[in-house]
Amino acid sequence: MLRFTLLRAGHAVVVLLGVTVVVFALVHLVPGDPVRVALGTRFTQESYDALRAASGLDQPLLTQYVQYLGSAVTGDLGVSFRTGQPVTTILLERLPATVSLAAAALVIALVIAFPLGVFAATRHGRASDTVVRVASQAGVSVPDFWLGIMFILLFSVTLGWLPPSGYVPLTEDPLEWARRVAMPALAVGLVSGAILTRFVRSAVLESLGSDHARTARAKGLRARVVLLRHVVRNALVPVVTVIGVQAATLLGGIIVVEVVFAWPGLGRLTYDAVAARDYPVLQGSVLLVAALFLLVSFLVDVLYGRIDPRISAR
Amino acid sequence: MRRAARWISAGAAVGLLAACSTGEGVDLDGDEGTGGDATGEVLVAAIAGEPDQLDPHRTSSYFSFQVLENVFDTLVEPDENLEMQPALAESWEVSDDQLTWTFDLRDGVTWHDGSDFTADDVVYSYTRIIDEELANAWRFAAVTEVSAPDDDTVVIEVAQPSPNLLSSIGGFKGMAIVQQENVESGDIVTAPVGTGPFSVADYAAGEAIDLTANADWWGGAPEVGGVTFRFVPEPTTAVAELTAGDVHWTDNVPPQQVSDLEGNDDVVVGAAASNDYWYLAANQARPPFDDVRVRQALAYAIDREAIAQVTQYGNATVNQLAIPETSGWYTAYDTYSHDPARASELLEEAGVDGLEIDMMVTSEYPETVTAAQAIASQLAEIGVTVTPRELDFATWLDEQGQGNFDLLMLSWLGNIDPDDFYYAQHHSTGSFNFQGYANPEVDALLDEARTETDEAARKDLYAEAATQIADDASYVYLYNPDVVQAWVPELEGYEARGDGAIRFRDVSLAD
Repeated sequence: MLRFTLLRAGHAVVVLLGVTVVVFALVHLVPGDPVRVALGTRFTQESYDALRAASGLDQPLLTQYVQYLGSAVTGDLGVSFRTGQPVTTILLERLPATVSLAAAALVIALVIAFPLGVFAATRHGRASDTVVRVASQAGVSVPDFWLGIMFILLFSVTLGWLPPSGYVPLTEDPLEWARRVAMPALAVGLVSGAILTRFVRSAVLESLGSDHARTARAKGLRARVVLLRHVVRNALVPVVTVIGVQAATLLGGIIVVEVVFAWPGLGRLTYDAVAARDYPVLQGSVLLVAALFLLVSFLVDVLYGRIDPRISAR
Repeated sequence: MRRAARWISAGAAVGLLAACSTGEGVDLDGDEGTGGDATGEVLVAAIAGEPDQLDPHRTSSYFSFQVLENVFDTLVEPDENLEMQPALAESWEVSDDQLTWTFDLRDGVTWHDGSDFTADDVVYSYTRIIDEELANAWRFAAVTEVSAPDDDTVVIEVAQPSPNLLSSIGGFKGMAIVQQENVESGDIVTAPVGTGPFSVADYAAGEAIDLTANADWWGGAPEVGGVTFRFVPEPTTAVAELTAGDVHWTDNVPPQQVSDLEGNDDVVVGAAASNDYWYLAANQARPPFDDVRVRQALAYAIDREAIAQVTQYGNATVNQLAIPETSGWYTAYDTYSHDPARASELLEEAGVDGLEIDMMVTSEYPETVTAAQAIASQLAEIGVTVTPRELDFATWLDEQGQGNFDLLMLSWLGNIDPDDFYYAQHHSTGSFNFQGYANPEVDALLDEARTETDEAARKDLYAEAATQIADDASYVYLYNPDVVQAWVPELEGYEARGDGAIRFRDVSLAD
């Protein structure tokens, strides 16, 4: 188990190194001088030199990369072209908003996906299965930001139940946080839940037809026990992978929904950084999201071993 | 200073966690407000984006100025007709030779941190803009010295008579009076200290800036207890916030929704003709655009109404000169009409056939992309082919600077004094004359108007210059976009202004 864990951690580090190369290359692939572009009308020779030196752009390319990597490892991701603040500080400020939204969305997705997926699988081929399949297909096809705008129009403008946008930290006022996170989390969670429902359904369906399920039934176990203990547990392996991918996607991919709901998270930060050509912040957020993605995949892999001992034994 | 590069070396990994740091900030451009204790309700305003920083001398972001308008003061400031009125300066005098301006400062003005405002602060602020060659240093081009003979007096010496000095130092908050201590500590970037009607209380990145009313403001304590500027980038959300009553004011109004909102009893829509203008400029260094008849043909061939409709959904006033009727500098001019036949004649006279135009547009200003399509179809009627070339704005500016274009479309913002918008663009030595226009008559008029101190005479000079500029089609002016803002009916005393300045000091919120 330990060997398996270390191996997976090693893979993650290699992938992360690859990400740093891409992220590093980003600045150098941009046409023109990124510092000049970033300063725009605020250009003065002093601020140009200061920013160029701070970004290390006055050094040879390889030195720059090694420096970038070295600094990144210790948490120094450079300074924002736009505000002059350290990128790491900026990222850490934004992280809680994104993580709390992603977590709420994932909970909603799971609450939808598991019961619906299992239900549809046990009703395979019947009308209720078709309803779930069609509904989840629709959910997969709808853009989450469009759903978000529809929710604002329904719940805020028409019904007046929820504030249309804005953020309150969970630690400050849990109730107000819940009121504000409800719509964005529902918009993202519904789409994510629709994707998961389809996976849960097919995994359970496959597991239902497997030999061990038949054996369990033949032993005379009650249908409920067969379903929960034997069928669903075995269906979990592929489902956990997809949940992991969904969780990681949620952490990095709620950009447009964050913009719609004026949610001060990483997605919004990335959006603003692109608009302002703030390369250090863009690099930092891409790197952070990639790291989060790898972290989640790593956790999923480790979790695999727990669910299915055969995997870590290999 | 940046720490020495941390090379990855054996064993470093062990110490990494301990060595974790977030890096050090760099002062790209070079912060603490305590407000009054007003108790009125807090006004919530939704703006479309986040300020890049709150140093008024350094920022070029409109979002910053929306906030800073309420935090800082200038010596003089534009009223609703954009005429200069006393602000930090109570009165001023100009010497007989027009070269010395003496400003008498208001007594008893204090900074948000409680310290006294003095003439030295004015000298510091202007010297900073001039010496550090900040973006607005050009507004002080004629200024030779700024001094403070005593605490209540500021003297500005100019090299030649400068009738536009007041609009140069008061036109917008980019010329605000800042506090030396606040600048030197670097705090001004996120926690500026001003003398204005509101002080900055809190800044939550990505979310909002909270202002508190300054009960000691020289103009009288604001009626609202404070203003929260929330950053709401999505217009649909901003309008929903407004109709749900969670936001009292927004300027993030999609142009296509203006007519809907005007019919909504829960919302007040305010529109003011702005002094901004959009124009086309043809590159006169490239034939056949050196022929005035070809440029005039363009001016006749385009349909300004149709262009304003596709770019602004009609929330604009078409104009054949720069400045709208609401400005004191307005000159009536309607030589051109949408007349493709006349345009064809002019092209024929000039001996031009099958003209192909490379039109530079940028996605930074989506109006240019939309307008180019309309212009292409309008010019197609007279046999001219327009090929829009879409660039990012940095490249666009570069191409403009190098003269690599046939035609371009851009806007000029925040215009108060005509010297600001005619000299740079149409004087043969003007810094923004990228179209290469040179008319000795216009040069002479602009030079003379620059130093003419009699207002009526100055106005006549600019009217003459402007008419000649339009006759020569140095620019083909298109329209003045409206400033469109929306607020809840409970917000009283607010007016949309043509210069886009957002002032909340006189407003109140009814119950």
